[in-house]
This record gives sequence, structure tokens and C-alpha cells, in this order.
Amino acid sequence: MGQNAPLKIKEREFILVGLFLILTAAIASLFPNIASPNPNGIIDWISIPLVGFPILSSIVLLAFASQEKASRRTKLDSPVRLACLAFSLVPLGISTALFFDWLAVIDWTNIGYNSYVIKHQYVWIESIGVSWHVGMDGLSFPMVWLTSILVPITIVMTWDEKNGSAYHPLLLLMGGSLIGVFVALDLFMFYVFWELTLIPMFFLILKWGGDERRYAAQKFFIYTFTASVIMLLGLVTLYFLQPIGTGAHYGELTGRTFDMTLLIDSARSGNLDGGTWLGIDMQKAIFLMLMLGFLVKLPAVPFHTWLPDAHVQAPTGGSMLLAGVMLKMGAYGMMRLPVAMFPDALMYYQDLIMIIGLVSLVWGSIVCLGQTNLKRMVAYSSVSHMGIILLGIASMQPIGYAAALFMMFAHGLISPMLFAVCGAFKHHYHSMEIGSMRGMAKWSPFLAVYMMFGWMASLGLPLLAGFVAELMVLLAYWPTYGWWILLPAFVLVITAAFYLWSIQRTIFEGGDEGQPPESLHGETPPDISGHENVAMFLLALLIVLFGVMPFIALDMMNSWSNNLFEMVFAQQGGA
Amino acid sequence: MEIVTAFSDGFISSLTPELVLFAGLLLVILIPNLGNSTFRIPSTGIRVPWLLGGKRFALTSDPRLPGYLTCLILAASFILTMLSQASEASVTLIQSDSGMDLLKVDGFSRLFEMLFIGAILAAALASLDRLPTNKSEENDLDSLYNNRRQVDFYILLLTTALGMSIVALAQDLFILFIGLELASLSTYVLVAFQKESKAGSEAGVKYFIVGSVASAVGLYGLSLLYLWAGSLQFDELSAAWNAGAPALALVGLGMVLVGFGFKVSAVPFHFAAPDAYAGASSPVAGLLATASKAMGMLGLIRLLVVIAIPDGAEGSAVWLVTLAVLSAITMTWGNIAALGSDNPKRMLAYSSVAHAGYMLAALTAVGAWRWGHVAAPVGFAEAILGAIAFHLVVLVAFKMGAFLVLALLEMEGGASRLSSLAGLGRREPLLAVCMFIFMLSLAGVPPLAGFLSKFLLIAGIVKMSIGDLSTTVAQDGALSLGSLHWIWWFALLIFINSAISLFYYLRVVVVMFFDEAEDGRKQPLPKGFFIRVTIWGCAIATILFGIGGDALVRLCFAAVENLQL
Repeated sequence: MGQNAPLKIKEREFILVGLFLILTAAIASLFPNIASPNPNGIIDWISIPLVGFPILSSIVLLAFASQEKASRRTKLDSPVRLACLAFSLVPLGISTALFFDWLAVIDWTNIGYNSYVIKHQYVWIESIGVSWHVGMDGLSFPMVWLTSILVPITIVMTWDEKNGSAYHPLLLLMGGSLIGVFVALDLFMFYVFWELTLIPMFFLILKWGGDERRYAAQKFFIYTFTASVIMLLGLVTLYFLQPIGTGAHYGELTGRTFDMTLLIDSARSGNLDGGTWLGIDMQKAIFLMLMLGFLVKLPAVPFHTWLPDAHVQAPTGGSMLLAGVMLKMGAYGMMRLPVAMFPDALMYYQDLIMIIGLVSLVWGSIVCLGQTNLKRMVAYSSVSHMGIILLGIASMQPIGYAAALFMMFAHGLISPMLFAVCGAFKHHYHSMEIGSMRGMAKWSPFLAVYMMFGWMASLGLPLLAGFVAELMVLLAYWPTYGWWILLPAFVLVITAAFYLWSIQRTIFEGGDEGQPPESLHGETPPDISGHENVAMFLLALLIVLFGVMPFIALDMMNSWSNNLFEMVFAQQGGA
Repeated sequence: MEIVTAFSDGFISSLTPELVLFAGLLLVILIPNLGNSTFRIPSTGIRVPWLLGGKRFALTSDPRLPGYLTCLILAASFILTMLSQASEASVTLIQSDSGMDLLKVDGFSRLFEMLFIGAILAAALASLDRLPTNKSEENDLDSLYNNRRQVDFYILLLTTALGMSIVALAQDLFILFIGLELASLSTYVLVAFQKESKAGSEAGVKYFIVGSVASAVGLYGLSLLYLWAGSLQFDELSAAWNAGAPALALVGLGMVLVGFGFKVSAVPFHFAAPDAYAGASSPVAGLLATASKAMGMLGLIRLLVVIAIPDGAEGSAVWLVTLAVLSAITMTWGNIAALGSDNPKRMLAYSSVAHAGYMLAALTAVGAWRWGHVAAPVGFAEAILGAIAFHLVVLVAFKMGAFLVLALLEMEGGASRLSSLAGLGRREPLLAVCMFIFMLSLAGVPPLAGFLSKFLLIAGIVKMSIGDLSTTVAQDGALSLGSLHWIWWFALLIFINSAISLFYYLRVVVVMFFDEAEDGRKQPLPKGFFIRVTIWGCAIATILFGIGGDALVRLCFAAVENLQL
């Protein structure tokens, strides 16, 4: 077949897609009441448009492309990529429309504790009390929104990645499963999506990663899988310790349910009036098991070692989603489960969490100072920022929780920016060494501007999103830990130091005589290409937007954390 | 419950699936021998067609015939078993003339029969393309030879199915042992079937020697049990056990355990398993890892749960600690040994050892039934046994599937090194994705069947360790991990082992998708319609039972209720 043969769709591709549709239909038919009228009068905007559609469409696209011969597969890159971008705009459109009340009138700032909007529940594995249960609240909606914003931006940013016919569907699959984690209101479903996110990321690192990708991908998978099976053990123990019920979503064989809302309810009633649900020892045990899973994912020192390896080896798009959303799964899980269910254990371990957060912050920053690899430096800065989230949680103040939530959101915009800059740097200069390029401002003014902007956003320049979060965490930290605040405040100075130092060495030093790195072999260094420019511009725009008007997302976060405190901590007599 | 005396009214109708297997066995022996021979009536010239022998007809000399016939027979038997399983009211007890219980047809035995026959059907289907089936020139010795071997292979598959069915139905330890031996002897030969290769014959001999020693020990234990109780009936043994078991009974029980321990390849009886799996052809290895192991597990359930669970409200079964130690060592050893093996079949064999460990841990939890002062209801033990049954059933889908992918590679020229799998992602994307699904399912990654089954096992163990504490959940802080039964830690051990196992399962995935294919293995794999369909079926079942396993879970739990604990 000639190189210019027209793209033809073969029969077996039709058969393949047909088989897939039949399989999907068979699976759908296993959910008997999937078409049942819903009680709230709001259409289920979550199950199919936000979760099902990206996952299924990406699988179809992957199956489609994999049946092609390698020579023809490159022809598919561009249509598949376009399709992915178009498909990824669907969740973005839906979630944005939900925020602006175009699809349904929802008061995001007034949802109430343990109640969710667009809540839908379908029977799944009835015998053990598993249901497909989705819904959103002030905690999950910003994360869903963030994910749906990041996926199209990531696709645009890595528009010319090689083997695009597989790369971009994997990004789409990643997005769908991440949204699945955030909207799941059933522990079983939560765990399923939690693990599902590993698979596309594993392949992204393994196929498009750097030289050490094999080691990094396996380390990433095994590290997080180990942690999450221990988390699962905690979930199962929790499942059997809950009181036996007979409601609609309780398992016929076990008499228990995986429904998160019911579990949180029974936890709350057990914790009321100074009570301790399950007893303090059991609370502590389950709390630790759950936290282990979330801390590894976050990651916090000393469980962070998978992250630098994964980031340095991952392709740009993988890094962007990994840092942007996947790390937040850990923080999200903490807020959703252990914090809401085990306030007594949280109070017991409050100082421990604070210390872990502080160590992550300090350790991450100090290690950053010693890095010569740009991406590794950014990865460690992620560790240090995740430490700030832990500080917010340990502060046990409503504002601290809102701050942690906003940190998740802000870091979810800033860290993709940083990794986009790293990716562009690698793409155009074929090097990751900080000292290898001097005087970039002369050769690549756009990249230099974005780098400067990203670094400034990350170190917490006022009017950018990161500043709001950092300030709020420090505000919450003061009433709880007093003068200890000097430590995180000082570390933020270290952060500024390594960022400024790397900026100085990369962008400015050398002035007009700046030398392009040897890895270019004497070619003129190019500036970033158009699609990279678009993607980074959008990210920069969002960072400014949420820095100037944080209340867009912050209001619902505030309301969520106030509710949490009112219903969990205050009524319990603590805090 | 309907009681039928053997070989009288209702015997045939209650045992149709087995009789179909038996009749089919005779047919597979007979049909390839049909020819144009005649029989001359003495002192006359009249020749009566005798049909047995002589020159074979075109149809009967077709070497593919026995395979097709066997698949049809197995499929028919499978469907009959399924129908019998589905009709809930049909619990039939078959007794001897003197009123001894021989066989019992109920949901539980039928479920296991479905498992056995299904697994053997998959192996038979996969072998249709596997053995050389070229129909060459007439009177060609090779073709005759191939034809004969075809028949041997499928006859052995059928006898295995028959033996396993008897094990599933047996209500008497002796009958159970007869079935076990019928199946074992057949599998010994099946393992040694590749006699041209050194590995094949070595594997066969090793498997036979170790297996027959284990059987002999088991049989001796059986005689000790008989000496003690005067009967080998399940119900009589169980009653005697409740009255109190002396040392003699314990020794007997321990010896019988050895026999079954070999079948499930539990440490320290597992040493022959990796060699046997590596030397046997892949479908046969898949058979050993699924059906044969399920048979051993079934024997253990009968022996430990049906017979050796005391009725009293105090204390757990005496074998609890032994089994706990065995299971801990088995799962850890299996996983650690699998880490170091470069042969994918050996790796799968060790993973099979590890899976045996998980199931033994679950059985241990059954032993902890009625621990301490808390009398756990029957449902607790049933939850675990149902989970074991579910695990064994779905294991057929993904373990057999993994072996069949290797079988396809063997057809091309060998699958004894991990590098044989290299480049599969490029050569055969669909097949590689199937293998990927099997590996993840073996590791227990959601939403695949392997996750649900492991989850149910863990859930059973945790449920048992919690007992009825959740109904009396104390608000006063009295509850801690220490107040749970110690088998809770086995759940943790299983999880840690799952994490270890991920190393070697992922290694297969990495090699498949990211290594360059070996020299001379760049082309697509051989065609093999049936084996491919079977692999796809296994993959689809793995996904379906993972996402929508509800129906099967119910089936398994309902089946276990038939044990009447």
C-alpha cells in the first residue's frame, strides 16, 4: 500500500466497534434500572456525559487505532487527536454549564453537609450492597471542573506528540476515570476508579516516557497500588463494622452498604455529643489504613519517592495530569473519608499530620535547591506544595480546610503550567539541565515569559492563584500552632530562592551572549510552537483569573468546610 | 430431597450430564475405529458388515473428528449441568441398596461440575487447533499416528471430566477418592503427553511420582479415618467428629490433607507443580491450574468444613492453626518464587500456588467460625465458601485465558521464556490486550473479575474476624484491632501479597507492549480460530464477571447454602 493511499475504514474495524457496542450494551443491561426516572428532577449529567462518555469514547478510539498497521497509524493521528479534543470539550462544557446554572439551577454555596447535587443512584452489585452512585458537592465539583479544564488544555499542549492515535485517547481515558473518582459516592465505585486511573498513566509513562521509563512506570504502579490495597482493607473493615441495615442499598447477602452517604451519616450519628463511632482504637486503626493510601498518592514525605521518578520520566501530558489532578486524589480522599468519619482519630493524629506536612514542605524545598534537572525540581516543589495541603488539614480550622481545597485547585492549575514549561523546554532544547541553557530570554522570549510567570505563580506571587491558598493556610495555621508558623513561612522563602535561582540561571544569565545548549548541536533554538503557546496562555489566564477572583471557586469550598465543621467537629464538642 | 437408589428409577434422569460424558467417552473410543470391515458368517459366503476395523471411512479417519466430538459432548454435558443447576428444587441423593449415601446432586455439586466441565471444554476447544491435525495421504503412518494421538488426548480429557464430576457429587470419602484418582491418573498422562520433548516426559514422571505418593498418603489417612469411625460417609464422619476426635482421627485427617494439598499445590506439596505446568502443553497446564485445583479445593471443603467442623458453640476447628501456617507460607512462597521465574508458565504456576494460599487463608477463616464467646451465624461461613466458589469459577476465565495465550505462542514455536511474549502488543494488539486483562485480573485490579473475587475473599475473612461485633458496636472505645480475631491479619497478608504479585504480572505487560519481538517472530501468530474464540470468551467473561458479577455471586452463595453447614 502506497504512502498516499486514502484512509479507508476496513470491515473489521466496524466489527470491532460493533462488538464493543454490544459489550457495552450487555454491561448496561446489567444495571436494571439505569433508565429509572430520577427523584430530583435533574437529569443525570454526571454518569454518562462526565464519566461514561470520555472513558467509552477513548476505548473506542484506542481499539480503532490499534487495528491499523503501523504505517497507516500515523495517518490516524490527526483525526483521532481532533476527535479527542472535541470529546474532551464535552465534560468541560457540561461542568461549566452546571456551574453557571445553564443546565439546572444549583446553589453551589448552599449544599449542606453530606448532601450532594445531581445525585443519582443505580443498582450495581446488589448482593453486597454496591451501587453506582454519583453526585457532587463543594468538595468534588472544583476537582471535576479542574479535570475537565485540564484535559483539553493538555491535549492542545501536546498536540504533536508522536503516536498521537494512542496518546490522546489515553489522556481522555485518564480524564474520565479521574472525574469518576471525584463524583463517586460509593466506596466500591470509588476504589474502582481510583485504580482505573493507574492504567492510562502507566501506559503514558511506559510508552512515551524518558530513558528510565520502565523503572519509573513500574515503581509508580506498584507504589500506589500497594498503598491503595491497604486502603481497601481499611474500607472493607469499615464496611463490616457499620451497623447492619435493611434499606434499599444494603447488600442482600451482607446487610451492609458501600454507600458513602449512608456511611458518613452513621459515622456522624455515632460521633454526636462527644461519642466516638466504633471506639477510638478502631477509629485510629482504620484512619491510619485509609490515610496511608491517600498519603502515598498525595505524596507526602516519606512516601514520595515514586513521584520524582514518575514525573521526570513521564511525557509532558502525563506529568500535567499527574501533578494537576492525580495528586489531588489523595487530598480529596482524605477530606471525603477519614476526616469526615473519624474526627476523634484526626484530633489524635493532628500533630502527626502537621509534622508530615511540615517535613514534606521543608524536605521538598530543600531537595529542590539541589536539583539540576528542571523537571525533578518542579516535581519536588509539588511535594512541598502538597505538604501545605496537609498543614491546612492539620490546622483544624474551617479556613484551613477551605485553604487546602483552594490549594488543590490552584496547584492544579499552576503545576500543569510548570510541567508544560518543562515539556516545552525539553521539546525545543532537548535537555532538562538547568544550567545547560543560558539567556533563554533572547532565544525564546515566549517560553521565558511563561516560565517566569509559572515560577512566580508557584512561589506565591500576590494576585495569582497560589498566593490566596498559601496566605489562607498561614492564617489557619496561626491560631492552632502559634509561632510554629515561622517554619512554613521561612520555607516559603526557600521556595522563592530556588525558583529565582533557576530563573536567573536559565533565562537571564549570559545576556546577549547566552549560549544555546550543546544538545542542540549548533542549531538556532526555536521558540515555542503555536499550540503550546495557546495552551500555556489559557493556563496563565486561569491562574490570573482565580488569583484575582478566587471567590468563583472559593465560595463553595468555604461553604463546604464550614458545613463540615458545624456538623462534624463543633457538635462533637471538640475543636 | 429426592432419594434414588443406584441403578433404579430416576437414576438416569438425575445423572444425565455424567452419563452423557460416559456415553461420549465410549463414542470417542468407538467412532474413529469404524471402518468397512466385514464379518463372514462361518461356512457361508455371507459377509455381514461388522464396521469395527478395516479401512476407515472418510469421516471417521478425519483426525479432527475426536476433537469436535469431544467438544460437542462436553458442551452438551455442560448445558445439561447448567439446566440441572438452574432448577432449584432438584436435590437428589443417590444411595446404594443398603441405604449408604453415594452421590448427591445439588446446587453446590452442580456448580463445581459446571466449573470442571467448562474448564475442560475450554482446554478441548483450545486444543482443536493445537495438536497436528493435517489430514495427509492415505495409509500414511503419520496421519494414523496423529489420529490415534488425537483420540488419546480427548479420551483423557473426558475421563478427567468424569472423575472430577464424581468428586463433585461424592457423599462418601471413598467415592470421592475414586473420582480423584480417575481424574489424577488422566492428568498424569495429559501432562506427559508431549513425550517428544524432554521437558514433557520429565514433567510427567515428576508429576506422577509426587502425585501418586500424595495419593498413597491420602489413602492411608482414609484407612485411618475408617479405622476410627467405621465409615467414610460424610454425615457419619461429621457426627463422629462432633462427638470428639482422638489422635487417630487427627492423624488420618492430616494425611488426607496431604492428598488434597498436592492437588491445590499448597506449599510444601507444590514442588512438582511448576515443572508439570512448564512441561505440559498450555491448555493442559491451564486445566491443572483451574479445574484440578478446584477439585482439590472442593475436597478440602468437604473434608474440613463438612466433616471436621465441630458443632459445639465453643472453640474453632482444630486444623485452624495448621492451615493458617500453611496458607501464609503458601501465598508468600508462591509470590516470591514467581518473582524470580523467567518462564511464563512457571510464573503462572507459582501464581497459582499463591492463589491457593489466598483460598486456604479463607478456609482458615471458616475454621475460626464460632470463635471465642461469639457464635457467628451460619451466613459467615457461607460467605467465605461462596467467595471461594466464586474465585474458583472466575479463575477459569482469566487463568485459563492466560494459559491459552501462551498456547497460541507455543503453536508458533515455544513460550518458555518471557521474551517469547515480547512485541505481542505490536504483532497482535487484540491478543495482547486480552493478556493484559488476564494479568490485571490475576493481580486483582478493579473492575475485573479477579478483583471482585479477591474482594469477596477478603470481605469474608474480615467479616469472620469481626464476628457479630458490629451489631454491638460499642461507643465506649472498647473496640480495637485487637478485639478482632487474629485471622484479620490474613486479610492484610493477602493484600501485601497482591501488591508483590503485581511485580511479575506487570513485567509480562511491559514485555508484551514495550519489547521488540524476538528474531523470526515478527509475523502475526498462527490463525487458530477456536483457540482465539476461547481466549476472547475468557476475556469477555473476565470483564463481565467483574463489572456485573452480581448474578454469579448470587449463584455461588445460593449453591453454598446446599452444604447445610
